[in-house]
Amino acid sequence: MPSFGFPPLLWWGLPLVAAPLLIHLINLLRHRRVEWAAMEFLLASRKKYRTRAVLRQFLLLALRTLAIAGLVFALAQPRWRSSWAGLFGGGGRHLVLLDDSYSMGDLSPGAGRAIAGVESAYDRGRRVVERIAADLAGAGGSDELAVGLSSELSSGSGPPQLALEWLRIGPGELQQVREAAGRTQPSWTAAGPREPLGFAAAVAAEGDAPRTAWIVSDFRSRDWQADETATAVRQLAAAGWGIRLVDCGLPAPPAGNLAITRLEQVGGVPAVGVVLPVEVEIRNDGTAPARDVPLELREDGAVRSGLRIAEIPAGGSITRRFEVRFGEPGGHVIEARLPADILPADDVSRAVVEVVQAVDVLLVCDDPAASLDHGDALYVSAALAPGAGAPTGLRPRVESPATLARLDLTPFDVIWLLDIQRLEPAVIAALEAHARSGGGVVFFMGPRTRPEVVNQTLYRGGEGLFPMPLAGSVEVLPSPDLPDLVAEDHPVVAVLAGRRNPLLDAVRVDRVLAADRSFDEAGSPGLRRLLSLRTGGPLLVERPYGEGLVAAVLTTAAPEWNNWARGNPAWVVVMHELQNSLGHRRRQAEGLRVGERFMVSLVPGVDEPTVDFILPSDGALVRRGAEAGPDGLRASLRLTTPGAYTARWQRLDGTERERLAAVSLDPTEGQLDRVGRAGLEQTLAGVPFRYDPAEALQPASDSLAGVPLAKPVLLGLLAVLLLEQAVAYSASYHPSPIARRRA
Amino acid sequence: MTRGSRRSLRPEAIARIARLELRAKGVVEGVLAGLHKSPYKGQSVEFLQHREYIPGDDLRRVDWKVWARQDRLTVKEFEEETSLRLTLLVDGSASMDYRGGRAAPPAGAVRPSKFETAATLAASLAWLALSHGDAAGCAVFDDRVRRGLPPRSRATHLSEICDLLEAPRNAGPSDFQPVLTGLASTLPTRGMVILVSDLLGDRDGILRGLRLLRRRGHDLAILHVMDDDELDFPFEGPTRFEGLELPTELTCNPRSLRAGYLEALEAFLAEVRRRAAEVQADYTLVRTGEPPEVALVRFLARRSRQAT
Repeated sequence: MPSFGFPPLLWWGLPLVAAPLLIHLINLLRHRRVEWAAMEFLLASRKKYRTRAVLRQFLLLALRTLAIAGLVFALAQPRWRSSWAGLFGGGGRHLVLLDDSYSMGDLSPGAGRAIAGVESAYDRGRRVVERIAADLAGAGGSDELAVGLSSELSSGSGPPQLALEWLRIGPGELQQVREAAGRTQPSWTAAGPREPLGFAAAVAAEGDAPRTAWIVSDFRSRDWQADETATAVRQLAAAGWGIRLVDCGLPAPPAGNLAITRLEQVGGVPAVGVVLPVEVEIRNDGTAPARDVPLELREDGAVRSGLRIAEIPAGGSITRRFEVRFGEPGGHVIEARLPADILPADDVSRAVVEVVQAVDVLLVCDDPAASLDHGDALYVSAALAPGAGAPTGLRPRVESPATLARLDLTPFDVIWLLDIQRLEPAVIAALEAHARSGGGVVFFMGPRTRPEVVNQTLYRGGEGLFPMPLAGSVEVLPSPDLPDLVAEDHPVVAVLAGRRNPLLDAVRVDRVLAADRSFDEAGSPGLRRLLSLRTGGPLLVERPYGEGLVAAVLTTAAPEWNNWARGNPAWVVVMHELQNSLGHRRRQAEGLRVGERFMVSLVPGVDEPTVDFILPSDGALVRRGAEAGPDGLRASLRLTTPGAYTARWQRLDGTERERLAAVSLDPTEGQLDRVGRAGLEQTLAGVPFRYDPAEALQPASDSLAGVPLAKPVLLGLLAVLLLEQAVAYSASYHPSPIARRRA
Repeated sequence: MTRGSRRSLRPEAIARIARLELRAKGVVEGVLAGLHKSPYKGQSVEFLQHREYIPGDDLRRVDWKVWARQDRLTVKEFEEETSLRLTLLVDGSASMDYRGGRAAPPAGAVRPSKFETAATLAASLAWLALSHGDAAGCAVFDDRVRRGLPPRSRATHLSEICDLLEAPRNAGPSDFQPVLTGLASTLPTRGMVILVSDLLGDRDGILRGLRLLRRRGHDLAILHVMDDDELDFPFEGPTRFEGLELPTELTCNPRSLRAGYLEALEAFLAEVRRRAAEVQADYTLVRTGEPPEVALVRFLARRSRQAT
């Protein structure tokens, strides 16, 4: 059964076959009129030769028709494929894994069109799918085809969905394939090839039918130079699949793609009227530096003054910080936008900031009144909320440990425990729950703090809240030459870092509760020092606890064992940074990637079981919570597009809850450098595969597409043309030599 | 001389023919000053031959001695110089209107029609006869005689013949037998009858008519006028042939039928020659593409050879 390399040429060319007949009919209409006397001889001749003449004319017409049909046939690159395989039910199975990651939306000008045009790597990929289907349809109709999108096969939620389920491909199914391919669009995901390859390897073989996996992708280096990908391809080949790689990327290396790889609030107190620092990171994946790049900024959709970046080095990144301030509580969206380039998808990024009227801070001390008057609470609250002249957005509240058991700790981002003598187990449990859910806890030591109590109730051999075991009170001997404090490499004290910081040098620490000497700091997971003593011991450490952070300052907050809080600006700075650092985890808006799920936990008996997810397009989807273990229900939404999402649900008491999530693209997908044939051969060494650029895709092999017929057809065409000339001469359609001589 | 006669009498034809002597083969009626022999083999001074008695022969010329010896009736014929009574029968049927030279335009020059050629030939022969003091008559016919002039020898008769040939006519299909039969009965005396025609028609009728004329003692000659196109059939390309006499048409590629056409034509010409020989008629094929004087010279030269 013949198949064709360029089937459209066949369909367009076939009508030309009628041309000889039309010309013949037109010639019959265009004959010359001659009034003739000797009709009897003419009629006698016709009577005698009529059958022969008519046959010769039909033969000539047939030859000319055959010649045109042969030419069209030859140009359509026919191939002959035996239909024996189909007769014996041995048609192959072809699984097309179409990369629909957003880099396939690459609009590089190398494709021969402007950015505003329609051709993209994904468009080429769709055409490849149609081409494969056409080849299979022309090859006997015994092959099966399925098409899977990498984003769908990598979603990880539920069974993988195919864009086109297994279908026996004949000419009648081509339209179905075309429509199925046309319905797909590049996703916003950075789905790589590993999961789709794993899916293919799991497709069961049916008898001895050959199986071919067509991987249609732009073959970015990021994905295809990874060992995991090579392993997945090897496993696929070992499972008996033939590997065909069809490259839809551009022949030339892409140039000039800029991507916003990060946009986030980096500290500050997200309260009304308070300045919040936001950082944006831009990466240049091109081969030349990008200069004078404008960055448009928007707050809640309104354009504000943007940034202009002088230069982003080729292959490098640059980070810029800007400030935002919101006058209303609630969720606010910050958007950064680069000028559209060859990959527009990664030129926009969004972040969500949840702004409150004020951030409550809980200070806990044994004697709140005294402490606020002259003790630790005074110095901490003064640092965090100095007064109306310097709004920080923080609202300290001082309580005694006894009230903690009755107090809802949820509103407090950070709880400061200032030289507490003892905490009740219920309070400790509440604090631990607070930290586990992302809250921050800061411990200050002092004369009332009992190391053995701390070790027993709070440290508990590393299981408790306190980051390290304590040994006892230790006096720090003064040194005239060296400062008592050393700033470690940590963002909280980064502002104090440096060889000699006069503010830090001015701090004198007389006494600390020293850490137990047997404690192995390096062996404690996540423990970090922020400040150390001159003697080498720790002064300020932090350790993650659950989703939150716990910090411990091994001296007093009030200038009792040190002079730090007495007029030293470094005190205020470090306290604020500590508050921000510990509280940021709690307030950090959901930073999700496309392809992940936006999860909302619902508490039975407290929350309604359904959640409305408001999409960036202003549409809404309702999801019902599903059982998620003993903690309760969980409603989730798979994120398919970047932007700001809102989850809204109601509590049984009638109040409404809301959570925002800024969903961004995986910035690594914007790295458009391609692995190319040489890179694939290196990565997939030992794996039999065939590589074709999309524009030069050839049939898999003669066994798939059959024996090329173009040459025999052309030879046959030559024979037909020679025969046509002979018959035409014989039928007197060529000018006679006599007539030529006369002319 | 009228405008028509001037057209029919081409000076170059007359100039060449005038140098020739018009000699009939032996049967000439009339007087043509010592050059022509009379077709009346009557009571002359010089015995010519015996021949079978034909009913109607003058009993005075029966040779009774032969009858007495051989018991069969023969009549004696004598050679007698007499003036020629020339009757020109010009085919004016529709088929004679074919004008050739259009088969492969623009290479071929447009030639005279067959009728124009026939008229030229007839006028030239009439002039020759009249210039020698012979009588010449002419008739134009298709399925019947449309116009006719009896043979006369006066000098002005040439203009009348030319006018007759050039007069407008409504050509119809030819039918030779009634025409020739009618002429055989109306021609008063024996003479020379020259049929100028393409002979496209009922060939049996032609034969019967000629045979009757011959039986009446007329010397017969046929100038068979055919166009070059009819003889060579050089047509190319899709062509619709529409019959000039036959109500039929044929659309074809002419070259595919050429072989068969020429085959049929050859058979026709062979039959015509054979039947002309049967009635002892001189047969000359005239092509419209050749100069008429050439055809006339060929015709007269052959007659001259036959006369000697």
